[in-house]
Amino acid sequence: MRPDHLAVTVLASLEGMGPVRLAAVLDTAAPVEALAQIRSGRSEARLPAGLLAAWQAEARRLDDRVVAASLARSGISVSRPGDPEHPDALGADIDPAPVLFRRGRCFSEGEPRVAIVGTRRCTSVGRDVARDLGFGLAAAGVVVVSGLAFGVDGAAHEGALRADGAPPLAFVGGGVDVVYPARHRELWDALAQSGTIASEAPPGAAPARWRFPARNRLIAAMADLVVVVESRAAGGSMLTVDQAIRRDRQVMAVPGSVRNPAAAGTNALLADGCAPVTSTDDVLLALGMSGASRQWPSSAPSRTVPAHLQLVFDTIGEGPTSLDRIVAASQATTVDVLAAVGELAGRGLIVDDGGKVRRA
Amino acid sequence: MLATISSSTLSGVDGHPVSVEVHVADGLPGFSIVGLPDASCREARDRVRAAIVSSGAIWPLKRITVNLAPGGVPKIGAGLDLPIALGVLTASGQLPSLDDGIGAFGELGLDGSVRSVPGAVSLADAATGRWVLVPAGDAAVAALVAGDRVRAVRTLADVAAALVDGLPWPDGEPPSPTGDPAPPPDLADVRGQPAARVALEYAAAGGHHLLLVGPPGAGKTMLARRLPGLLPDLSAADALEVTRVHSASGLALPSGGLVDRPPFRAPHHSASMAALVGGGAGHARPGEVSRATCGVLFLDELGEFAPSVLDALRQPLEEGVVRVARAHSTSEQPARVLLVAAMNPCPCGMGGDVGCRCPSSARARYARRVSGPLLDRLDLMVHLDRPAAADVLGPPAESTAQVADRVAAIRSLAQERGVRCNAELDGSTLDAHAPLEPAARTILEQALSSGEVSGRGIRRIRCVARTIRDLDDAGPSLRATDVHAAIQLRARPPIGGAHAA
Repeated sequence: MRPDHLAVTVLASLEGMGPVRLAAVLDTAAPVEALAQIRSGRSEARLPAGLLAAWQAEARRLDDRVVAASLARSGISVSRPGDPEHPDALGADIDPAPVLFRRGRCFSEGEPRVAIVGTRRCTSVGRDVARDLGFGLAAAGVVVVSGLAFGVDGAAHEGALRADGAPPLAFVGGGVDVVYPARHRELWDALAQSGTIASEAPPGAAPARWRFPARNRLIAAMADLVVVVESRAAGGSMLTVDQAIRRDRQVMAVPGSVRNPAAAGTNALLADGCAPVTSTDDVLLALGMSGASRQWPSSAPSRTVPAHLQLVFDTIGEGPTSLDRIVAASQATTVDVLAAVGELAGRGLIVDDGGKVRRA
Repeated sequence: MLATISSSTLSGVDGHPVSVEVHVADGLPGFSIVGLPDASCREARDRVRAAIVSSGAIWPLKRITVNLAPGGVPKIGAGLDLPIALGVLTASGQLPSLDDGIGAFGELGLDGSVRSVPGAVSLADAATGRWVLVPAGDAAVAALVAGDRVRAVRTLADVAAALVDGLPWPDGEPPSPTGDPAPPPDLADVRGQPAARVALEYAAAGGHHLLLVGPPGAGKTMLARRLPGLLPDLSAADALEVTRVHSASGLALPSGGLVDRPPFRAPHHSASMAALVGGGAGHARPGEVSRATCGVLFLDELGEFAPSVLDALRQPLEEGVVRVARAHSTSEQPARVLLVAAMNPCPCGMGGDVGCRCPSSARARYARRVSGPLLDRLDLMVHLDRPAAADVLGPPAESTAQVADRVAAIRSLAQERGVRCNAELDGSTLDAHAPLEPAARTILEQALSSGEVSGRGIRRIRCVARTIRDLDDAGPSLRATDVHAAIQLRARPPIGGAHAA
């Protein structure tokens, strides 16, 4: 392991060391010297009172060999600006990442990259849209960049993995070995297997709140184009949008219902002049690629609706629709509606969605 | 002198015969009770002495020994006061000894009055003798099982007056306080909600357990409270069983003594396991599931009940009885309930609607509180929305009486099949009375092989489909549409909506 990688890992592991302070420390000296200085209680960087003493004690406790061994054991690679495996987009950024930790594949250069971001608390429709976009883009050879969070992020990654196309890329808030949220362990492992998980936070770092805005900046910096699927008016995705605009990246948004507060932010973006995304092809065209993308398999209308179920199927619409509403709108008896809905569900044409039903 | 009075004590909901033997002999004056009396039973010494003296009889200044046989059965409560007092009076020659014996139970006051005790039905059933002397307030219910052997007594002096002076026995009194039920609320008050109304009707007609899921104010509790009104009157045997349980657990009884309407029990979600399924220290008291037998057990806020308490319901739901084991005894208590449960779809109640404020982890945690095996036993599940304004202000819908007529017709169809309700169809009766048309069989085979439904689920789906067909045209076999509707109504984990991960 390279000595400067080891030194920067130790530096990044210090309590209270974020990307800004790490960059400040590394501005004054190369990593190995900077670490030696801190261990001897000196630093040329301007730091709050008391912090240097705390870092000195902590840096002396950390054993370089132990840190190196744990990195090697968990298969985590380190890269710094200027390294060949460090992504150019981040090295040349206005807020460059002083270090990146990575699990999985190397960052791939040359392929277009699209960030798919949105709220963790999305609607089922939002989740499906994110999944379809992730699938279609990855299948067309676009690297899907997102954050592995609940909701839109996870769905985009899920779709991208399923496409078996360009390997997806995730920037996470904590250490790349800290699965968060815990329920995404399977997705996390799949991504580490066939894609890339990267973070500025050192291995083992908890996903603290303050790390996420900095993480969002990496997503914006890495992407050629940012698609917002669903976002509340003041959601974290809006921070990603701000960062993308600072870097002159194109931002696109998926239109949502005016009654859906989870789409208030995206609709506001559209009102401000962002281009709308209604299908994967919109994104591909914005990237200058040809359209005609592959579609998420289940959303393709492969099965036809039998004639006797057509009325109820039409009443359900895009959904989700409650049974009571279907009964009221279709003028059929309740038991007939139950039977029709049961048969539609049995045929896989509709799915249950928290007590309501919607098209599969 | 020795006197023996027949009496009984309560264990669970059953009465156990107890023989009260009183021996009055020369010696140092004293009074001792042997034979596993509990604390309130041991206190009988002081009550009996005061009551005898207050009634104008003479307390014998001799050595008095009371034996409660059989010695191995724990004796509970104050119901043995009256037989002990009668035994003392008989053994000391102040009352005549009857040839074919006398049975009695009742608690004594210090003034000689005889007070009601819980479990009069079971106690009267277990007591033997030409006459069974019971507190006046318990006479009506005791007469349900002991018939004209029952003699009501208001005071200890009444017994002496009747046996010695030949005066008539006093009349019984209505039980107090009377639990005459308020008329149940009417289904016509429920506006809109067609799916929930249908599910409620299926639950009443077929005896299928029901889960209502919906945001606060959607009308879950309102619907559940209208379910007992849809059920037919209890049969004579069921009415006696319910009366026995209610009497044993000290619940107020109607003025006629007999509980003839299905009970409705709605325990709070803080209920402990002993409160819900029965038990408690020493004496196994009937739990809410037994008190609701032959009626409706309503668990509101199902997600707030302790999961271990809910899982204890699985066995009684399946078998219709609760077996409560204690160190001294095991008692079996009836628990044939129609379970109706209500829960919010998530902690904030909005359940994935756009206003939902719950993080998805909280929603998943909430849904997990109801275990899969319990959900598997819930045959019907409906999601309710808050009713639309047009429905709330619209015309009243079908009334309880109209629906109850249909329910009664379906229940009598089930009785022709040899079961109380369609939910009890099983094995051979299911094959005989609910054969599957080929298309329906295919649907069930698909559901079973896809792993969506368990074997028990298939049986329960067929029972529900039978009820659906019965309410439609009562044809002999199950059509594909009946099975589709039954599967659609089946309970599944209440997770989904906006942000299930």
